[in-house]
Amino acid sequence: MEFKKKILDNGLVIVGETNKAAKSAAVGFFVKTGSRDETQEISGVSHFLEHMLFKGTDKLSAAEVNESFDKTGAQFNAFTSEENTVFYAAVLPEYLEEITRLWSQLMRPALRDEDFNLEKNVIKEEIAMYKDMPSFDVMDRCRTLYFGEHPGGNSVLGSDESIDDLTAEQMRKYFASRYAPNNITLCCAGNFEWDLLCSIAEENCGYWKERTVERNVQNYGGIEKKQRIAKPNLSREHICLMSPAVAATDQRRFAASLLTSIIGDDTGSRFFWELVDKAIAETASMQFGPMDGTGAFYSYIRCSKENAAKAMAIVEDVFAGVAQKGVTKEELEKAKNKILSGLVIKNEVSMGRLVDLGFNWVYAKEYQPIEDDIKAVKVVTVDDIRALIEQFKPAHFTQFAIGPQ
Amino acid sequence: MKKFDKHILKNGMVVLGEPMEQVQSVAFDFFLPAGAAQLPNGCCGASSIIADWIFRGAGKNDSRQLSDALDSLGLHRATSVGSSHIIPGAILLADNLAKAIELYADVICRPQLKKEQFELSRQSAIDCVLALDDDPRAKVMLKLREQFYPDPLGRSTLGNVKDLNSLTAEKTGEIIKEKFELSQTIFAVAGKYDFAEICEQMEELFGGGEIKQQKKITIKPKQNKYTHIDNDGAQVHIGLMTKTVKPDDADYYNARIAVSVLSGSMSARLFTEVREKRGLCYAIGAKYHGLKDAAGIMCYAGTMPEKAQETLDVIMNEFNRLSEGISAEEIARAKVGLKSALILQSESSGSRATAIGSDYYVLGKIRGLDEIKAEIEKVNVDSVLGFLRKNKFREFSVVTIGPKKVKLYPSG
Repeated sequence: MEFKKKILDNGLVIVGETNKAAKSAAVGFFVKTGSRDETQEISGVSHFLEHMLFKGTDKLSAAEVNESFDKTGAQFNAFTSEENTVFYAAVLPEYLEEITRLWSQLMRPALRDEDFNLEKNVIKEEIAMYKDMPSFDVMDRCRTLYFGEHPGGNSVLGSDESIDDLTAEQMRKYFASRYAPNNITLCCAGNFEWDLLCSIAEENCGYWKERTVERNVQNYGGIEKKQRIAKPNLSREHICLMSPAVAATDQRRFAASLLTSIIGDDTGSRFFWELVDKAIAETASMQFGPMDGTGAFYSYIRCSKENAAKAMAIVEDVFAGVAQKGVTKEELEKAKNKILSGLVIKNEVSMGRLVDLGFNWVYAKEYQPIEDDIKAVKVVTVDDIRALIEQFKPAHFTQFAIGPQ
Repeated sequence: MKKFDKHILKNGMVVLGEPMEQVQSVAFDFFLPAGAAQLPNGCCGASSIIADWIFRGAGKNDSRQLSDALDSLGLHRATSVGSSHIIPGAILLADNLAKAIELYADVICRPQLKKEQFELSRQSAIDCVLALDDDPRAKVMLKLREQFYPDPLGRSTLGNVKDLNSLTAEKTGEIIKEKFELSQTIFAVAGKYDFAEICEQMEELFGGGEIKQQKKITIKPKQNKYTHIDNDGAQVHIGLMTKTVKPDDADYYNARIAVSVLSGSMSARLFTEVREKRGLCYAIGAKYHGLKDAAGIMCYAGTMPEKAQETLDVIMNEFNRLSEGISAEEIARAKVGLKSALILQSESSGSRATAIGSDYYVLGKIRGLDEIKAEIEKVNVDSVLGFLRKNKFREFSVVTIGPKKVKLYPSG
């Protein structure tokens, strides 16, 4: 493994970790923009724009783009979150050059009106699809409730109304303000030629114009609100809990991940023994969502409507238990073993490595080899976890529930 | 380096391995012949209970001790239930493999099967069936398999509430005793391992008992063509399936390439016609779905009610016109897509363990990467069109869930 880094004159950062023994390579453009960078008038534009990048450039039609991708046999896609828009592909090494050239060109899209108008239908279908997925819907609504006025709660998809009202001109303006080279990281992992990657970037991205890009990264301390809505066609109660946690750059993020594993991993955790093993809930999990300048703990519980009150009383007991007595050394060791093996397994695949490499750079502006991640997990103590619980108080959560009438 | 390892224990249990350079992990799967189609009538869902119950205490360890022991190994476990098998599997760092196999020997050969634990497993299984109502996309595909495949091949792996309620600990225990037949079990491992050590350990832990023949299941014909389930949701979820050749057929790769031309990636026909040109769907795709005794092409689309009929019509039209002509470029893209997917998948020990185990069950052998690549290479426009004309898509099985029904053959 060898780490390389280069910054073009216009501010585009290129980072790579070469592994000559890998059978594949993965490449991605990480754009530091997402729903938290939107105003209400253009809600959903980051995600819609992600779709529009596939519609081609001044020289390439949408059909030509799809054919160009498929000629390489690439496994490619893109995703948009509250904070990032990532375009990626995993390919056999011989196609890396072609796929990087293609992505580099697509990063300067045509954003044609006719493509924009047709794709609106697809976006609205995607919004409809998630409405039929209550496990997703409840998380989204909880995030909005929890963050209130803070932009961290902005919806990634937007609403039918905001998408209807959005114009191609608004999207072009947003693109110009966010897709500046100094707000983008080009990242590559696996079996590839570093010099070639840099020359492709220089040739295709060197002319992009630098401009000032800002983001409001104020911390958010959380609130404790509770809300429930009924949907007649549902048969189960879906509950999401959110509370504050450390930010993505905070060294305590490793302790935060371990804490969520101890409380809410799908095997052997406190939620598992108290809720899932006893068949009170089908699912009860807890996760840590690190963000820019802030962070949140998320829990998701699904059970029958009849069991909802009982399940929530148990959840409160679990949180009270860790607050009063902390976690045990044995629990911490088990969580470490699971997280460490998960880390190694994920990074054995180029695509898994790309995601870690890219986000480490986007957030911390540093190269974190997997060995450093392993060390950082190993050194966490039960006292670190206790301090984290004392400061962030996961028992003080915002709750959103969706369930039957 | 050897491509594959194979060893047969004295009782007939098959041990397979695929060594992988460059990984620190190892993954394994036990293919136990106790899947949904293997169950006695009236026991639909027993596999789902069993998959959970056997982990609630085994050997000397009670439920909690067993879970702690597995977690201490940093092992990531998942047990899947299919038509033919229950597959307890895991992925972990290679150093802990022997300890993990020892614990799995308890789970498979000496589960405690306590009655009070049975009730919890049963309740969880029932809850999973009920929760399916809140996941129409998953439900439509499960119903589609039930409707398309001849019984019992398409039986729901989750089961139904009536059968789950009527099962008892005694009855389910008997099923385990009868179906966990080691001589018919396949063990597949991939990643970093020492095969000689594994074989020695497997012989010691699993090698007992005699060779028995698995009972043949009787397959009944299917009639049902369209089912609609009313749900006041945002979309109509459409599942569609039509018959094709099985994985052991000489035309298997022609079928796979044909499916890729339809839906391999973004330049494929369904994505282009349904989403890119008409904006009818966000999620649209078809894939090959093969069991040992039957196979189909399975398609899903989710769309708002007013567009459901047009979506179905466009999809069926694409199926029907496929045999009329395919370009050389389409075939070339489909071939490179399939080959790349194979090679990319071969970096993951978890994917490989499952792939070699199911290959062996379905085909009686493991297909090496080179062999598959050579077979894909042989495919061309004429071979795919020849296959499609010989095997016309005659009948479609359709299931929809949503606020509106569709008509299957509106033009007659």
